[in-house]
Amino acid sequence: MTKNKIIKRVLFIIPFFLIIFLILFGGFYGYWNSASPDKTCSSCHEIGKSVDSQSKSSHRNLHCKECHGTALSNGIHSLKEKGMMFVNHVKEKDSGNIRPSEEQLLEVMTNCQRCHTSEFADWTSGGHSIDYQHVFLNTKHNSTEQINFDCLRCHGMFFEGTVIDVVEPLNTKGPWKLKDGKRAAMPAIPCMACHQIHQDGLPHSRPDYAGAKSIFYQKQDTGFVAGFYDRHEKIYLPVSQLPQLNLWEGERKVRVSDDPVMRNCVQCHAPNAMHQAGTSDDRTPRGVHEGLSCMACHELHSNDARKSCKSCHPAISNCKLDVTKMNTSYADAKSPNNIHFVACADCHKDGIRRTRN
Amino acid sequence: MTNQIKLNRRRFIALSVVGAGGMCLLSRCANSPLSRWRFLTEQESVLLDALVEQIIPTDEWPGARDAGVTNFIDKQLVGPYARYQETYRKGLSAIRETCKANYQKGFEELNWDEQTLFLKKMEAGKMAGPFWEKGLDRQLFGLIRNHSMQGFYGSPRHGGNKNNVSYKMLKLDYPVIIGQNRYKI
Amino acid sequence: MGNKHVNAIVVGAGAGGGIVAKELSVAGLTVVLFERGKWATYDDTDTDELISQRTTVLGNAYGPDDLRHRRVIVNADGSTKIVLPSEGGYNNNAACVGSGTVSYGAMAWRFMQEDFKLKTTYGHVEGSTLEDWPFTYEELEPCYEKAEWEIGVSGDDTQNPFAPPRRKPHPMPPFSHNKEAKLLYDAARRLGYHPFPIPMLRNSVPYGGRPACIRMRTCVGFACPVNAKCGTHNTVIPTAIETGNCELRINSIVSEINVNDQGKITGVTYFDDKNRKQTQTADLVIVSASATETARLLLNSKSRFFPNGIGNENDWVGRNLQGHAYTGARGIFEEDIYDDLGPGASVAICDFSHHNPGIMGGGMLCNEFIRMPYLFTGVRPPGEPSWGKRHKEFQRINFKRVGQVQGPYQEIPSFNARVEVDPVVKDFWGIPVVRLSGFRHEKDIEGCKLMSEKAELWLKEAGAVYTWQNVGGGKGLSGGQHQAGTCRMGNDPKTSVTDKYGRVHAVPNLFVADGSLHVSNGGFNPALTIMALGYRVGGYIASEWTKGNRFK
Repeated sequence: MTKNKIIKRVLFIIPFFLIIFLILFGGFYGYWNSASPDKTCSSCHEIGKSVDSQSKSSHRNLHCKECHGTALSNGIHSLKEKGMMFVNHVKEKDSGNIRPSEEQLLEVMTNCQRCHTSEFADWTSGGHSIDYQHVFLNTKHNSTEQINFDCLRCHGMFFEGTVIDVVEPLNTKGPWKLKDGKRAAMPAIPCMACHQIHQDGLPHSRPDYAGAKSIFYQKQDTGFVAGFYDRHEKIYLPVSQLPQLNLWEGERKVRVSDDPVMRNCVQCHAPNAMHQAGTSDDRTPRGVHEGLSCMACHELHSNDARKSCKSCHPAISNCKLDVTKMNTSYADAKSPNNIHFVACADCHKDGIRRTRN
Repeated sequence: MTNQIKLNRRRFIALSVVGAGGMCLLSRCANSPLSRWRFLTEQESVLLDALVEQIIPTDEWPGARDAGVTNFIDKQLVGPYARYQETYRKGLSAIRETCKANYQKGFEELNWDEQTLFLKKMEAGKMAGPFWEKGLDRQLFGLIRNHSMQGFYGSPRHGGNKNNVSYKMLKLDYPVIIGQNRYKI
Repeated sequence: MGNKHVNAIVVGAGAGGGIVAKELSVAGLTVVLFERGKWATYDDTDTDELISQRTTVLGNAYGPDDLRHRRVIVNADGSTKIVLPSEGGYNNNAACVGSGTVSYGAMAWRFMQEDFKLKTTYGHVEGSTLEDWPFTYEELEPCYEKAEWEIGVSGDDTQNPFAPPRRKPHPMPPFSHNKEAKLLYDAARRLGYHPFPIPMLRNSVPYGGRPACIRMRTCVGFACPVNAKCGTHNTVIPTAIETGNCELRINSIVSEINVNDQGKITGVTYFDDKNRKQTQTADLVIVSASATETARLLLNSKSRFFPNGIGNENDWVGRNLQGHAYTGARGIFEEDIYDDLGPGASVAICDFSHHNPGIMGGGMLCNEFIRMPYLFTGVRPPGEPSWGKRHKEFQRINFKRVGQVQGPYQEIPSFNARVEVDPVVKDFWGIPVVRLSGFRHEKDIEGCKLMSEKAELWLKEAGAVYTWQNVGGGKGLSGGQHQAGTCRMGNDPKTSVTDKYGRVHAVPNLFVADGSLHVSNGGFNPALTIMALGYRVGGYIASEWTKGNRFK
């Protein structure tokens, strides 16, 4: 056979197979992305559990691909990834423990904002949208306090590895750099740090105005949608499963709000092992604000608290002080009116007239 | 050369068809009942549920069965405890056969006190009869006792202690609420 | 391709070896530091009780693994049994960079003056190889001081009237007590004892560029999440590597010490991280692989010149294996005494260390580290059921109400408690494994009983309403994490393995630097003493080398 003939043959074969492939793949792809998960995703028993939990969640009306994308939604990258899923399935590799990687999780997260636009915008504007470089390359922090394994408990909790693989060197001398530069702008506290997308819940729906029970103020509580991702156990604990904080000011037990959402906050904004108020990262309200939940002042996603003073003062308070002009920031060590601990006597130096017994 | 190409083409088409067929078959996986157990049979798991429940019974707090202890044992039997597979298989079968011979029913169908008595006999090494190799009763009892405790009181990542149930019972915070020693800004 | 010749090989990157490597590399010697394990991190198994160094049921968090390692134990009736590292009889010590100092409870005891001259203090004991150390406490004191300041210790000896004399205080203040320890502290005072805070190789304040302890409940048996526990892995080993003179070779197990035609030590044979057999030559070899593994290596190094293993002309290598006979008592209190302030052990007394009738050597007594939930399922008074409804009830009601006082009773060395190499069983690499046999001296249990009575009395005074003793020192083999004694130091080559600087008698360039050297094991956790010996041996070699001595 001459060289020409071979080329001719090859030229003929390639498009032929391409067409066959496209027909087969196209049909399969179309079927896969439109059929019910029972017939597709969930037919692999490894993710049956995930499909099951999704079907009980408030996201139950969404198709898997809405968040997880399809084999083509991210080009070659996702094609390779889905291909590997198939290979691993056939090889029965680690089939009991399928979890999205950090990268996959962040891809899902970009889909959160399609529906939760305002929550996402709020999150972006607040401290919790901090990225890897701002957490792990903070010179002031790193030169004062050695970076350690425990950092990943609250930052980069989905990172698959240890802090040694995130940043180097692990000493207080520096200079520090991320081991993988690509991480720099990746969020260190993504949505999934506090939300399990598959958590039990009911989808939002228009109330049935004929039945009073379905109107919001009489509607049954469907539970809280927040929780804590425990990176050691690799499980998500809804706030109802989290321990309540016992806090002490010396020997006195501090009243702590029983708002379950706050149990999530204190997992990271935690006091020291003695649970002494104001130690370590504790910001639990004391003084005049004792007993309030974090959520009484902080907005859920932006954590913004600037507007909160006005909603109670001076409307209710009898202070006759303009609270909006006070330096209430916890970030300022010299703040005389640290909003988390401010006591009556901090403003009323001469004491307060008792109005009640 | 030509032959070779033809062969390859044939093989390729065959592979394509098999591949596509396989993908379609995939959707049928769901219809074949897949065991949720890794080592245990369904029958063994029911028996083991009853056994571990005797070791840590339900009271005002969930017992071993509800805490997923059987799942813990099943998971470890294909992991670090693979060396105990034979003891479990033989021992569980011996329990089943003994109950069948003596009570004409399964261990899990005996009443609570009968079950307790049965386990006490195993613990004391007093099982006799054709189903029990020498020492198997005490050996299996020891394993079930220890593995139940591990599954119930150990970390949930190993398949037991569902919802941190034992930690809650012991009034231990999990995850522990503990901050780092922060420098002040 | 061969490995480049170096000045010194150190086998084992634990408490002793890490320090020797640092002393030598800082002095300018080129060093290869061998470690059979890897760098351990907190994240490997974090706070998982079932894979911790204390409860190894699902494996050893810090090595060695069950797949490649095994040992043989000889039972009382002469029968033998193969044991895996995750099983109790193995007498395991961690296999990772830093070894036990990664996951230890971190008590930082100096042995007392009497501990260095037990024979002088108590006289000859029939059936025992009890002997004085070849040097006094005073001679080792500067090394203790160096260990305390370079590795980092929190403590205050001024509160302990029985503490041996020191020139410099501890570098960090002591830890505060939790609720249990406070009750015991007050009770000890009422009883006329002298309670004091346990010195700890753990940062009570930021030290050495690492943060202060956050007081987790999971400490002993675990790596530290904030790097506040001080071991060789986060102090001297990084320093050694930074000098540029020290190469750390992990996942590499040394199988034999090599001897040339003239009977001179030339280096070691080892299996590298890809299990390839390799050779490393050096001017000096220092073995610090723990009392069991150091003895194994010497015994496995047989040649024309050393037919019974190196240093074993008089059959002393592997002899006198000793750990500690832990003895004490437990008590149930009427209310919760557990306040979740970790890691627990913080108050001790040395009132029963030496000079008490009926107690030979004795040991300190202290409150125990926090007992994790699974471990607690085995903590029951005699007669309590070990399963069932009542067992669960006990667990629920008493988990936070049981207090424990115990101490490491100083054992009388027994010549028959020994490490050999098994003639048949080999490990993954084909190296003959450790074979353990023999028993404690029968005298140990007498002292243990008396100590347990004292511990029970202490708990009662602290408010325990129901108490019971757990008496240690029974007939059995003693090694464990406190293993020591198998390459005893001494001035007489006939009754010891090394000289007073850890040099193997009659072998100019082979040293030992770990617990194997201990002539007796003190009534204390031995880590700081092993470190001090590391400074002694390492310091001696470095100063001799600087003077031009090439140990030929």
